[in-house]
Amino acid sequence: MSSDFYTTQILPYAAIIIKICRAYTDTQEDFEDYYQEVCLQIWRSKDSFKEQSAWSTWIYRLSLNVCLTFLKKKKNNKQNAPSDLLPDEVLVDSRAFADESLNQLYSAIRQLSEIDRGVILLYLEEKSYQEIADIIGTNTNNIGVRITRIKERLKKILSN
Amino acid sequence: MEKSIETIWKEGFIKNDALVAPKLNDLYNQKSIDIVEKFKRMYKLNRIGIVAFAIIIIPLSYVTGMIYMGIPMALLFIAVTFVAQKFSNQLDTIDKNTSSYEYLSSFDKWVKDMIAVNSKLSTFLYPYVFLAMVLGFWFIDIDGTILGDRFINGFVSEFPTTSLVNGFPILLLIPFFLVIGILAFFGGKIGKWDINLIYGGILNKLEDLLSDMEELRK
Repeated sequence: MSSDFYTTQILPYAAIIIKICRAYTDTQEDFEDYYQEVCLQIWRSKDSFKEQSAWSTWIYRLSLNVCLTFLKKKKNNKQNAPSDLLPDEVLVDSRAFADESLNQLYSAIRQLSEIDRGVILLYLEEKSYQEIADIIGTNTNNIGVRITRIKERLKKILSN
Repeated sequence: MEKSIETIWKEGFIKNDALVAPKLNDLYNQKSIDIVEKFKRMYKLNRIGIVAFAIIIIPLSYVTGMIYMGIPMALLFIAVTFVAQKFSNQLDTIDKNTSSYEYLSSFDKWVKDMIAVNSKLSTFLYPYVFLAMVLGFWFIDIDGTILGDRFINGFVSEFPTTSLVNGFPILLLIPFFLVIGILAFFGGKIGKWDINLIYGGILNKLEDLLSDMEELRK
């Protein structure tokens, strides 16, 4: 990857990647791996970007896909390694934010299903229903209902 | 009053430095391996394709009555595969235990050697292919008559004053040797274009990565 490409095309959108990777990882080590893999995938796939969507939307989509794929791989590995069969809640997140409410929110998000995590992250990033539907690959009607349901679930988790 | 999740999200990221991108420590290493492995896969697939074609072309040319094209083409594909296999063996000897830069530089040198040899071979390869095709069409048997003989007879009766060299009209020999000459002259360029068509994307990435690493080493 050209350092120029990283500086101009990825770094300005690093916040997106960081926010998404954090929602799908439990440790700093995993987070760095996911972040690196997303950057690598952006570089690998940059030629396939057809400008049919904004670069940022494309990065959202790609980051989510990488995280979901990585998570799937990790789950498969866990199945093959019985000693690693710890429930997710037991894993300690070593990356505390300065804001405690944000820590709690992230912790709640991590308890959602993989797709719901993506949906809520995009919603919190103020993406339109249409954009969320495009990124997730569903229709707009489903998104509204889904977001309402996810928000209720998050409120419930946070109040507990 | 309890904050909404939207507010927590917005305020949370304003307050802290949580959005600092991690260092990309091993990225160059990963990319180097990625490029070489991808190239290896493509190169292997290419060799398998050539071998498959060499196997298919003989029965195919037999069925179509162009066995004089099929056999030389099959021999050519086998020779090309042999050369490619030799290069592939060399590729496997590149030391992976060096730095990413040295690893990629060795790979780059290998690519350049491979392209240079292929370009030289292409000088003979394309005229050879043309010759094989002419032979193939020439010896097609139509109702007991060879197509080439029919063609010559038709040509001579159309241009009865044409000079013959060993029974071949000079008006046909000139364009024939002209095509051979052009293919030999441009063979190297066609070969490079061919390689670029298949591996261009990956070779550009290699070039980008190497120049980037060289810049960082300064």
